Amino acid sequence: MKILIVEDEPKTGDYLKQGLTEAGFTLDLARDGVDGLHLALTENYDLAILDVMLPGIDGWGVLAGIRRAGKDMPVMFLTARDAVDDRVKGLELGADDYLLKPFAFSELLARVRTLLRRGGKPSSDPFLHAADLELDLLRRRVSRAGQRIDLTAKEFALLELLLRRQGEVLPRSLIASQVWDMNFDSDTNVIEVAMRRLRAKVDDAFEPKLIRTVRGMGYVLEDPACVA
Amino acid sequence: MRRLSRMSLTQRLTLMFAAVASSVLLVLGYVIAASVEQHFEDLDKEVLSGKMELTRQALQSVTSQEHLTLFTHQLAQSLVGHHGLEVMVIDEDRSVIFATANANFSPEAVISQAELTSGRLALWTQGHQTYRGMAAQVSTAAFNSDGAPVTVYAAVATDIAQHTTYLRSFLQTLWLFVAAAIALTGILGWAAVRRGLLPLRTMREQAQVVTAQQLSHRLPLQRMPAELAALAQSLNDMLARLEEAFARLSGFSSDIAHELRTPVSNLMTQTQVALSRPRSADDYRSVLESNAEEFERMTRMISDMLLLAKAENGLVVPLRESVDLTREVQALFDYYEAVADEKHLQLTLMGAIAEPVLADRLMLRRAMGNLLSNAIRHATPATCVKVTLGQQPDAATVSVENLGDTIAPEFLERIFDRFFRVDTARQPSDGTGLGLAIARSIVVAHGGTIGVTSAHSVTKFTIALPRSTVLT
Repeated sequence: MKILIVEDEPKTGDYLKQGLTEAGFTLDLARDGVDGLHLALTENYDLAILDVMLPGIDGWGVLAGIRRAGKDMPVMFLTARDAVDDRVKGLELGADDYLLKPFAFSELLARVRTLLRRGGKPSSDPFLHAADLELDLLRRRVSRAGQRIDLTAKEFALLELLLRRQGEVLPRSLIASQVWDMNFDSDTNVIEVAMRRLRAKVDDAFEPKLIRTVRGMGYVLEDPACVA
Repeated sequence: MRRLSRMSLTQRLTLMFAAVASSVLLVLGYVIAASVEQHFEDLDKEVLSGKMELTRQALQSVTSQEHLTLFTHQLAQSLVGHHGLEVMVIDEDRSVIFATANANFSPEAVISQAELTSGRLALWTQGHQTYRGMAAQVSTAAFNSDGAPVTVYAAVATDIAQHTTYLRSFLQTLWLFVAAAIALTGILGWAAVRRGLLPLRTMREQAQVVTAQQLSHRLPLQRMPAELAALAQSLNDMLARLEEAFARLSGFSSDIAHELRTPVSNLMTQTQVALSRPRSADDYRSVLESNAEEFERMTRMISDMLLLAKAENGLVVPLRESVDLTREVQALFDYYEAVADEKHLQLTLMGAIAEPVLADRLMLRRAMGNLLSNAIRHATPATCVKVTLGQQPDAATVSVENLGDTIAPEFLERIFDRFFRVDTARQPSDGTGLGLAIARSIVVAHGGTIGVTSAHSVTKFTIALPRSTVLT
C-alpha cells in the first residue's frame, strides 16, 4: 500500500511519515503543492493525504489536478480550518475524507485504513476469530475456548468492530461513532466502562488477554501470538 | 431627492422654514395690494356715480335745444372744484355738446361703452393718461322734429394717475417689506434651528467619548428632548450589546488562556522532569502516554471552545430535520447504559412526544447527551436518572433529573457558564467543563430555552424547543 503525503509543516510531515511507515505503509512525502502534484501524476498511489494550505499549489489545486488526470485514488484532507465551506468545497472536488487539526494519530490511522479498505470485498465468512475467540455473525453468538459468552447487543457490536479491525488501534471517538452512532466527544468515560465490561466477559477468565488499552490512543484487539 | 437627503439638517430646516414664511408673506402682500386697489376703485365709483346722476338730472331738465346753452353753463358751474374730473356729453349725431377742458374721448368709444356697459366702471386711456370712467344714455325733456324725445350720451371720467402713483409706491414698499421679512425669517430660522439642534451636537460630543476602553459610557437621557431621548436610548442599548459582546470576547480569550495554562504547564513539567536524567524505556513510555492523554483533552477543549465561540456569534445554524425525540433518548440510554450501570443507576424514560421535532439531530443528541452525562456523573449511586418528554401548547420539552446534592441557588445561575464547576476540587474524570455551556448554546441556536431547578436533592434540567420546531 503506497501513500502520498503533501504537507509543508516540517514536524507534522516528519511525524506522519514516521507513524505511517511504522504502521506498515510505504509512502512519499512532498513538502509543497507543485512537488506533490508532480508525484501524484507520475507515481501510482493507493491514497493521497493533502494539507489544504500549501505553498505553490494549495490542496484544492492538487486534488483538482489529480482528478483531471483521471486518477481516482482516495484523497484525504488535513486542515486546521474548520469552515463548513471548506468541507463542502473539498467534498465537491472529490475528496473522500476530511480531518481537522489537531487530530489524534490513531484517528488518522483508522481513517486511512478505512479508505484503503474501501473497494476491497467485505469478507463473506460469517465467523470472526482471534486466538480461541469466535464470533458468529449469523447466529450472533460469541464463544471463547468453546465456552459460550453472553453479550448485550452493544457489546456484540463493539466486539465485532474490534475483531474486524484486529491489530488496529481504534480511538474512542471512532468506537463511539461506529458502535453507538455518537459523533461527539463525550465528557464521560463511556467507552472505558463499556470496554472494561467487555473485557470482563471476554478476557478476564481467559488467557491470553486479547483486548489491550493503548494509553492516550485507544483500544486494540490482537492475538499476542500473532504480534510476536 | 438624493441631494436633499444629504443636506445638513440645519440647512434643510432653514430652507423649509424660509419657504413656508415666504409663501405666507407673499399671499398676505397680495391680499393687501388687492384690497387697497379695490378701495380706490370703490372711491372712484362713488364720485363718478354722483357726477353721472348730476349730469342726468341736468339733462332731464333740458326741454329744448335752446336750453342746452344754459345746461352747459350749469354743468360747468357744478363741476367747479373737481380737479381731474372730466365730463362729456354727445348727441345722437356724435357731435360733442359739452366737454370739460381735457375731455377728448372718442365719441364712438363713449357710445359703445354706454350701450354695452351702462353705468359700469371702465378704464380709458387718452394720450399718456389713464382715466376711470362710466358712460350712459340719458334722455332729455326735449323732442326732435319727429316728436321723439331727444337722447344724448353722457360720459364722466376721473384721472387716476394720482391713485396709480400712490398704489405703485405703496406696493413697492410692501414688497420690500415682504422681501426683508423673508430674509429675516430665513436668518432667524437658521439661528433657531441651530439652537434647537444643539442637543444633537451635545450628543455627538458625548458619543465621541465612547471607545473600546470606555464601552461603559452611556448617553445621559434626562436633559434630552423626547425625540432624541428615544434615539439616545437605542444607542445606549446598542452600546450595552456591544459591551456585552466585548466582555464576552475578552472573557473568552482569558478563559482559554486560563484553562490551557494548567494542562500546558503539566505537560511541560512532566516532559522536562522526564528529560532531566536517563530513564528506562517504560518510564519514557508512561510519560508519553500521560502526555497523549493530556493532549487529547486539550484537543477536545479546543474544538468545544470553537463550537461555543461560533454559537455565541450566531454562526451555528442548525439543520431542520425531523427528529424523533423518543428514539434519540433511547439511543443515548444505550450509549450511557454501561456507565449508569457501574453506579447502579437506572435510566428511565417517561412521557412521549407524538410528533417529531424539527431540529439538527446531531446537535440535539449532543445537547441531551451532555445533560444525561452530567446527571449520571452527579447522581447518587443506586438511584434513578429520569428523562421526561413533554408536550406543551407552544413547545416540546425534555427534562433530565437526578437525585444528588442540591445545588445552591447562587451556583444554579452560573451553572451554564463555561468552565464553571460546582465542586472546585475537580475530579480527573471530569470533562472540559463545557458540557452544559454547549448544551445551552445548541438549545439557544434552535430558538429554545434551557433551565435548571434544584431542590430537595432533585436536580432537574429542562430543554424547551419552541413550537416552530415541532412538526404539526
